[in-house]
Amino acid sequence: MHLDFTEDQKALLASLEAIVEDHLAPPTEDRRGRYHYSQSLDAKLVSNGFLDAIRTPGMGAVEAAMVIEEVSRSPSVVEVSASALVAPHLLDEALPRPIVLASGDLSKAQRFLPVAKTVIYNAGDKVLVFAVDQANVETIDSIYAYPMGRFKTLPNLASARVIGGPDAVAKLHQWWRVALAAECAGAMKSAVDFVVDYTKQRKLFNTTIASFQAVQHRLAHAHRIARGLHFLVMKAAWSGDAFDANQAASFAQQHIQQLVFDLHQFNGGMGVTNENLLHFWTYRFRALQPEVGGANAAALETADLLWGSAA
Amino acid sequence: MEFAWSNEQDAYRRRVSSFIERTLPKDWWTNYAHGIGTDAQLFYSKIFCPALAEEGLLVPQWPKEYGGADGNPWQQFILAEEMWSWNEPRGGQYMGVNWIGPALMRYGTQAQKDEHLTRIASGNVTWSQGFSEPQAGTDLAALKTRAERTNSGFKINGMKIWTSYARRADWIFLLARTGPERKSISCFLVPMTSPGIKVVPFPGLVEEGHLNEVYFDDVEVPESALVGEESKGWDVIRHALNYERVGLPRYHWARRTLDTAVAQLKKEGRFSDPIVRAAAGRIVAKCEAARLLTYLVVHQRITGEDTVDPNVQRLTAAEACLDLMSFLMEYTPDCLAGGDPMLENFYRSQIAATIAAGTYELQLDLIAQRGLGLPRGH
Ligand SMILES: Cc1cc2nc3c(=O)[nH]c(=O)nc-3n(C[C@H](O)[C@H](O)[C@H](O)COP(=O)(O)OP(=O)(O)OC[C@H]3O[C@@H](n4cnc5c(N)ncnc54)[C@H](O)[C@@H]3O)c2cc1C
Repeated sequence: MHLDFTEDQKALLASLEAIVEDHLAPPTEDRRGRYHYSQSLDAKLVSNGFLDAIRTPGMGAVEAAMVIEEVSRSPSVVEVSASALVAPHLLDEALPRPIVLASGDLSKAQRFLPVAKTVIYNAGDKVLVFAVDQANVETIDSIYAYPMGRFKTLPNLASARVIGGPDAVAKLHQWWRVALAAECAGAMKSAVDFVVDYTKQRKLFNTTIASFQAVQHRLAHAHRIARGLHFLVMKAAWSGDAFDANQAASFAQQHIQQLVFDLHQFNGGMGVTNENLLHFWTYRFRALQPEVGGANAAALETADLLWGSAA
Repeated sequence: MEFAWSNEQDAYRRRVSSFIERTLPKDWWTNYAHGIGTDAQLFYSKIFCPALAEEGLLVPQWPKEYGGADGNPWQQFILAEEMWSWNEPRGGQYMGVNWIGPALMRYGTQAQKDEHLTRIASGNVTWSQGFSEPQAGTDLAALKTRAERTNSGFKINGMKIWTSYARRADWIFLLARTGPERKSISCFLVPMTSPGIKVVPFPGLVEEGHLNEVYFDDVEVPESALVGEESKGWDVIRHALNYERVGLPRYHWARRTLDTAVAQLKKEGRFSDPIVRAAAGRIVAKCEAARLLTYLVVHQRITGEDTVDPNVQRLTAAEACLDLMSFLMEYTPDCLAGGDPMLENFYRSQIAATIAAGTYELQLDLIAQRGLGLPRGH
């Protein structure tokens, strides 16, 4: 048991931080948007090999999860989860990216679809992969802080590549959960830091709002949630165990409501504007809240794993 | 990051659990495990702890010179996890082992170390903690119990409240005021048999026998009872509380309790309801977060990092326990009325989890101010 990064992991983190540091605010022209997909961050991650961490000798899922977490600290969004962690657990070769992770009703809006090249789809009893025809994608204006879009006509799944049956579905679920929890962990950390800074600056009644205990206690909870989640994510990536993946996703998804409420609350009216950066993180958690069935699905699978059937 | 136990740690865990299994009486769950503060468990701890010490498992983390095995904090936690799987057969022994012993190693005189450390390490002594008073809990520095100098030492007058296990304790680690300043407080080691001490147990929501008032009426103690410098007890207290606050693997006990509740629900044919199953599953995530944060704190104890993670861990464990208490009330409510005593034990002991050893609000203050750098609040 050693709950600290190794020297190699620290070096990886330092080089990632150096890149993410340059992307801590979206460019002025995109600041008031719903989201900002950073092509420059994406390109740097690709050219420096960060998205291939999992395929790099001496590295693995922990390093891939670290990449997701660190990149998610940026208010700008980049498709990392599927490329760096989920797809490599399903296929040896790299898929054209950005990649959409989809499940269930394909007529609904999907994260990243307007910029995506590939979809990995949970078709219930099998996992399918197919290319995205952008001419068939309609962009949706949504307050979720991802590029959101839906298919104009449903893709023809009969021609999609089958990459596995129920085992592949289970694997997809498991790594998708780790990935979404890692995204939440990184974004939560930045969102908490952002709000802590704001409360230290905002003066009312001749003092900063940071000095009000009612504010402090809820921020302390936000910090505790982000901190706990980070270690659940690392454990799940390290163990490759479905139980741990369930706990990471369940913990993240159980706390999203509390975090989004508290963090926005302390920004007052500013917190509901697009000009305020907060929504770039919080409306990513919101989009992640129902994924892979949300907290209850992870909890039900945990119950199955621990206690078996009802009898 | 490395989350695996070493072979050595696994072997250590097996050694502890096999010791517990072969030592505890067969009727442990029915006749003894009624809660750490109960007579049944406190009396049994006086048999169990010397046996544990004999096996080298009471204070493995202590230095060899004080009767330990130069072990590390991991051993202490593996031991605690296994003990809590059995509802803590060590009873209130953790006080001496976890923080009074370490405080004496740091601040005690040679004579105090000689007298007390060997006794604690042999499992033959039960301690209590005489800190809180009616007007001094969170605001501990408001305590009123006084120790006045006499020719041969000190004379103590005042009262303590909530003092766990006091009615069965041999010694009390006592805080008393010795000067005019708010923090002019000193620490004393006082035998509970001293003339002038009266213990009055009182009932409560927590398990029977846990809570006591302790009255001090002209209790004479020698100079040698003073720990550290006179009126400089605050440093000792801070050190002690640091050790006290991450002692209990609540997550482990909560997981075990949840298993017991699920077994009952299955037996009653009520665990097929997905609402119940999901509610149980959700608690597991919180327990596991608390577990990892506790391991983090143990890790930091070894590396010497000073963070607010112990407070983060305490709150996360408390949240898991609060959810579990609610689960028990919703789905196994008979546990507080003649149902499974193990569930009742858990519930009743956790009632105080957000109060004893530093309240929930105090932990939040510490995280906000020391961890997030927010100003002292209103
Ligand atoms: C089961 C149990 C066992 C115990 N065992 C022992 C023992 O063995 N030895 C011992 O010495 N003591 C013991 N205690 C006492 C315990 O340490 C105190 O109860 C605790 O410190 C709280 O003090 P209090 O009860 O006076 O509450 P108070 O200090 O009056 O607090 C009441 C409430 O006010 C809140 N509060 C206080 N200050 C602030 C603030 N600044 N900001 C926001 N909120 C605040 C608290 O968080 C709490 O919620 C035990 C208590 C219990 C319940």
